[in-house]
This record gives sequence, structure tokens and C-alpha cells, in this order.
Amino acid sequence: MCFLSAPHVYKLISRTFEILRSQVKSDSCVLTLCDSPVIIWPNKKFHATPEEVTTNTICEDLQQWIHVVKLQLMTEVTKPGPLSGLVLCRKVQNSHFVSTTLPMDCIVRASSSDTVKDVCDRLMEELTKQLDEMEKVTLQHIKGTTLLTPEPLHFLLPDPKGLVTVVYPAGMPDTQLEAKRQELHRHFELPDDRPYFRRANAYHFPNEPYRDGYLRNPHLVLTHPSLEDGKVYLVQGIYSYHHYMQDRMDDNGWGCAYRSLQTICSWFQQQGYVERCVPSHKEIQQALVDVGDKQTAFVGSRQWIGSIEVQAVLNQLLGVTSKIMFVSQGSELASKGRELANHFLTQGTPIMIGGGVLAHTILGVAWSETTGQIRYLILDPHYTGAEDLQLITDKGWCGWKGPEFWDQTAYYNLCLPQRPKVI
Amino acid sequence: MGRGYIVDDAVEEYLSKLCEQKASQITGLLIGQSSAQRDFVVMATRTPQREESTASAGNSLDKDWVTEHARQVSRMLPGGLSVLGVFIISDTDAKDTQTTLRQLVFAVENLISSEYLWSPSDDDVTDCVTLHVNSKTRKTLCRTFDVKDPKSMAKPADWKYQSGVCSSWITVLCCLNVDIVVPLPENRSSTENMDECLKEGLKAWTQKIENGICLLDGKKLLDDTELTTGQRRNVKQTYTAQLLLTSCEHRVTDVVQRCGGSVSVRGAIHSRAYLHSNKPKAKLAEKLLKRDVLSTVATRVQMLLEELMIAEQESSVRDKKQTAQFSLPRRVFCPVKGSGPVCVCDYQFSYEELSEATERLKEMLDIDAAEEDLDTSQEITAETVQSGEDMHSDVAAEPTVETAEELKPKRSNYIGVAMATAVALLATAASMLYLNDI
Repeated sequence: MCFLSAPHVYKLISRTFEILRSQVKSDSCVLTLCDSPVIIWPNKKFHATPEEVTTNTICEDLQQWIHVVKLQLMTEVTKPGPLSGLVLCRKVQNSHFVSTTLPMDCIVRASSSDTVKDVCDRLMEELTKQLDEMEKVTLQHIKGTTLLTPEPLHFLLPDPKGLVTVVYPAGMPDTQLEAKRQELHRHFELPDDRPYFRRANAYHFPNEPYRDGYLRNPHLVLTHPSLEDGKVYLVQGIYSYHHYMQDRMDDNGWGCAYRSLQTICSWFQQQGYVERCVPSHKEIQQALVDVGDKQTAFVGSRQWIGSIEVQAVLNQLLGVTSKIMFVSQGSELASKGRELANHFLTQGTPIMIGGGVLAHTILGVAWSETTGQIRYLILDPHYTGAEDLQLITDKGWCGWKGPEFWDQTAYYNLCLPQRPKVI
Repeated sequence: MGRGYIVDDAVEEYLSKLCEQKASQITGLLIGQSSAQRDFVVMATRTPQREESTASAGNSLDKDWVTEHARQVSRMLPGGLSVLGVFIISDTDAKDTQTTLRQLVFAVENLISSEYLWSPSDDDVTDCVTLHVNSKTRKTLCRTFDVKDPKSMAKPADWKYQSGVCSSWITVLCCLNVDIVVPLPENRSSTENMDECLKEGLKAWTQKIENGICLLDGKKLLDDTELTTGQRRNVKQTYTAQLLLTSCEHRVTDVVQRCGGSVSVRGAIHSRAYLHSNKPKAKLAEKLLKRDVLSTVATRVQMLLEELMIAEQESSVRDKKQTAQFSLPRRVFCPVKGSGPVCVCDYQFSYEELSEATERLKEMLDIDAAEEDLDTSQEITAETVQSGEDMHSDVAAEPTVETAEELKPKRSNYIGVAMATAVALLATAASMLYLNDI
């Protein structure tokens, strides 16, 4: 492979981005409002169709057509004529041809009283800025004749920062982007012990369905209990609801702890700590064999597992450590409010609890320090139905339970997964 | 049942005139527009004489010549007009010509549709018409065949004359920028290679056009919206169309490849389509206009490549110039007398005189047009420039400098987040990266 003189390449790439930037500023740049007849020419002295959309239209008015404002960037290729005639140009020269699609994706925050025109103007500025970012990232990652496509991702940072957009080179794994993430953590003044900018942390818009079909955070639709002088402590971030009968796996009656473990694994994946996907029952069993906890015959069996096994698998497959909490009888759980609250405050991971003959996932507690009243937010892996959020929450498969939920005389082990301190 | 053809009086006159020529057999094409309910025949044209043919006009039918004529005529028809079928005028009975008619109509349709860039849509009419006229009795026999089905049987059809069939037809037009760039393979830059590469480029461009949003008179109309047609005479109904394209439907695979150069087609074209006045829908306008856009570019590219290939064959020396620009022919329109707004078109190379266009119109479409009748105002020919340095025409306008405003995100009353998802195809930024190999 020939190596090519770098400055020449950089100039050409920069020139291409320059042309793209001017296209974004040109009259032929068009924004179409998805699922509506609204089309906006942001650069052409604010021209739009239908006629009701004018410079004074405020964002709230767009809601007559659409609830989530998603715009698509297009190019108008028709122009009033006559223009230059059609020309075929042939160049014969040994060279390289580079063709890539730049997935531009910008966000602008608007309040419902902002005019559409204002928002479009800001959006166009963002597009230009994003082209600048993309140019930088492209130039940064040229190696010989390989080019990495720049790819924007949105990340939700704690208030008041909100959504920010970062351009990453496509295909580069998180492990190689650590320096960039450190720089971002510094820039946004974020703690350096938990990830905000891994690819898995990318923000998922509410109107976009998840392709894998699992429900996310079903607890969010619940009304949380208000206890006298009490506070609610919840799991942080996003998890998927795993339960009996999913993935064409009939584990009814024995798989509850496995499902709780899957829910926990889904949390670590979606927070960006691990890239591996949620393990299957077999993979969980294999992991236990690999650490010497079980015999080989265990794989493929229908044997139960408990918190200790959950802890072992989390360690083996995800590199995650967990604390084990033990209560000798279920009635004692009522007094564990402080510890559970503290866990959700500092770690925010889902808890697997096993005891009696059942395993569950605890997603949060409502606890009053003064009265000692306590409620537990339970995600029940024993559900065998479809991913019906209404049904799941109505019937309490994800719901708040009181201390009487536990078998008062059985002993319980709780597995409290700990966040790895990485970014 | 069967189809019903509404035929302009001018066609009746034309066919009568042909009957009066004492030829034993005259073939020709029927041109118009088919729709679900009705079919309209707007003009007819006889198969031109072959140069080498003998004086006697009654020689055996040259099917290849008829189909070739149809192919050339098809190129001269703007959107909405197409070759609907074939006619034969003979002094014999209709039944003698049925087999020939059937063969002709299938051959014609197969050849013409093989050149289409677009894929057929479900609402396309696939029936073609055959007409036999007995020159002695003037009796007509009209039948249709479903050309999608090679085994289809002839179905009877109505053939009715009417005056002013297209007097209130609708014109949809636009002026469109074309920007297609494709790489050429290494060390193989003959015109044939260019042809193959351009075919690929045109295919990709076709998808973009087909997926583009079409606005009529500045509005996006629902598919089933009926376009209003003025029933008043002399009121030309015209819609200006706009096309908005995006690349995000089909993400092209990212590619870095060695190449031997590039070929591009850039510039503006005028595109138009005609719609019948019988409650046409917005969906039809969009379909016909887009098809015209595709075929006018494909036709011109084809015509240029044909010329280049002939030139290449005739001169043994290949064009070794590094950069060469060729002007594609411009589109010239010619009104069809008595047919309201409807025009046919021709393509004129920059080195041709306008008289060549009128000659072609006479030969192919049997139209007597004077140079003054031709509308040359819709397009201008680009100047052919010879080889030179790396030229980037279409350098974009100076970017305007905008003052950056401090954006203070408002915390109250979020309606959600406005998000633009867009795709800009790097290659369509009108430049290719030329990295000289050391």
C-alpha cells in the first residue's frame, strides 16, 4: 500500500467539509418535520409549508401535527431555471475514491414558546458546528488510506447540563476512547468514577422503540408511595425487565434468580460498564462451572441458583463485585431501610434478593428515617406474559410492596452489585 | 368490458391521410397516456422509411425497425406520454394482421421498458393497444394485450374519437440540479467502462429520486389529493414541482477504493410531465414527473455515450487527455398542434443546428414544425471545455458568517427535544478525493 502525503489529504478533506458547511447554509437546505406535512427552508428568509407556519409560529403550535419534534435534513434539488447545462466530465487519473455517509444528528432544546424560526436557526448553527467536529474527528483518525466515519452520539448529563452531543469515530471501541472520555469528564466537571460517555450511555429518545423488545424501566410509570417523613430511593439509570418464558426459554418455576441476574446484567450493559450482552441461562450456568462452583452436569439443568451464585456470575462474566447482605428472617428486612437507601444512593444498581423459594429484584425503597416505615419496589421475575407495560404495572409484577411481602420466617440473602470505578 | 381509448380527432385525420397513401401496409405507433379508468391517444406516427429500403413501400415488415423507431420515439416523449401501442394500416382484413400486431406490440414494449431506470409500480397499466385500419373500408379493429403476460390473449377495446382530448391537461414541471459522481476502474477508462460505471451511478441516483419528497406548487399534498383542472379553455394548468432528496434511506457502504479517475454528470435539466384531466391525483403527478426526471438524464447520457463510442471506434487513437468535459444535449420542446399544452421534445447537441431538431421531429414523429415553433428557452447548453487542470465547477457560494449567540437553555415548559437526523453524502459535496499515488 502506498502511503500518501498527509497534508494533501488533509487539505482535500477540509475542502470537502467546507463545501458541506456551505451546503448546510444554502437555500437548498431543507428541514422536514417527520410524520407531518411541515417543511421548512431555514436559510431562505424563513420559508415554510404549509402556509400556517410562519416566522412567528411557536414550537407549541407544531404539536397540532406532531408530539415529538423530529426533523430530517434534506436537500432541494429543484431550482428556478434555466441554470447551467448538463455536462459530463471524465477525469483519468489514478487516485482513491472515498465515499461515506455522514450521519448528522443534532439536538436543540426549545421551550414551547420559542418560535420555530429561532429553533431552526439554532439547529442550523448546530449542524455547522457538528460538521466542524466531524472534520476534526475525521482528520484525527486518518491512517494511510483508512478513514473512520465520524458518528455523533447524544449523552444525557446530570442537570443542568442536559443533553450533549459528542462525535466519535465509528467502529472505534470504548477501550480506545478513554483519553477522549477523560477530557470530556474534565470539560463537563463530571466525577471520574462512573461512565457518562461510553457508547452504551448514549441517550435513547422516548419515541424510539428498543429493537430487542424488552421493556425498559417499567417502574417509571408507577406512583411512588409517600410515607410520612419518607423519601424514595430508586435504581439509577436503565435496566431491562427479564422474566419467565422470555427468549423462548421455558424456565417457569426455576429460573427466577437467573432472570433477576439478567436484569442486573442488563443494567451494567446499558450504563456502559460492559459491552457483552445479557447472558443466557446456559451461559450463566457455564460461568458457575468455570469458577468451580458447580459440576459440568449443571449446564442445561433446571437447578435454582441463589445470591451467592449471582455474585459469582457477576464477577466472572462482568468483572463486577457485589456485597452480600444476610437476614436470618424475613421480618428483619423491615429494618434494613437505611442500608438499602444508602445502596440506591451510592450505587443505584438493582438488587437481587433470594429466600424461601423465591427470588426477586429490588429496584428501590421508600423509607422514613423517623417512622421506620418502609416499602420495597419489586420487579418480579415470575411473570410469564408478554411485554405489556400496562398489565405488568396494573397487576403488580413491577410494583411497590410492603414488609409483609416477605416470608417472615425464611432467611434471605441479598446481592448488592457494586459499580466499578471507571469512566 | 375491456379498455376504452379516447382518441383525439387529429389522430383520425392522420390515420385517414395515411390510408390515402397507396401503400399496401403502413405501420406506426400510438402515443398517449393510460390510466386506470381510461386511455387517451394523443398522437400517432408512422414508421419512417429506412434509408436502404426499396422504392416499393409494400415490402415485408421490418420488426426490428419498428421497435427501434419506438425506442427513439420514446426518448422524445416527456413524462406522461408514452408509446401505448402499434397500428397497422393495410388493405386487407383485420384478421391477417393480428399476429403481426401482437408480435410488434410485445417487442416494442419489451424494448422500451428495458431502458427504464425505474421499477414498475403496482398501479401501472400494463395493457397495450393494437389497432388495425382497413385502408379501403376505413374499418378499425382495436384490441389490447397485457404485455406483462406473454401468454395474454387479445381483448377487445373501444376506440372513440373526440376533439380536444388534451386541451385541459395539466403540466407539471421543474428545473432540477443533477450531481452524480462515480469512480472509474483503474487503467480502464474506455467509454464502455464509463457506460457501466454511469449505469451504477444512475441506479443509485434513481433510488434517491424515487425516495425524494415531491412538492407541488410549494405544498406536500396527500397521495390521493385530486389536482384541480380548469375546464375553461385556454387556461393552462401548470404546477411547479420541487424535489427534496435525502440519502438516509439507504446507507451506502463506506468505501475507500483505488480508482482510475472519475466521471461526473452535473448541471441542470428541465423536466416535465403531462397529466390527463380526468381527476388526476397528486400521486400520479409525482410518479410521472420523477420518471421524466430519470429518463431525460438517462437518455442524454446514453446519447452522449453512443456518440463517444462511435468516435472512439472511428479514430484509433483513444482520448488520452486527463480531463475531458462533454456537453450533454439540451432539451428542446415542440408543441403538438391542437393538443393543448402537450409538447414533445428533442435533444440538441451544442454543435447541431436547430434545423436538425425539426428534421428529427419530422422523421420520428411526422411533425411539421418550423424552427420558430420550438421552445429552446427551458435549457441552455453548457460550453464544452477542453481538458484542463482539476476543475471544480459549482464552487459553493461564500458561507455567511453568523454571530454566535449565547444559547441559554430554558428549563421550563419543555416540549421535548427538537432533533434533526440527517445524512449528507460526502460524495455529493461535489468533490472527490484525489490522492496522487507516489
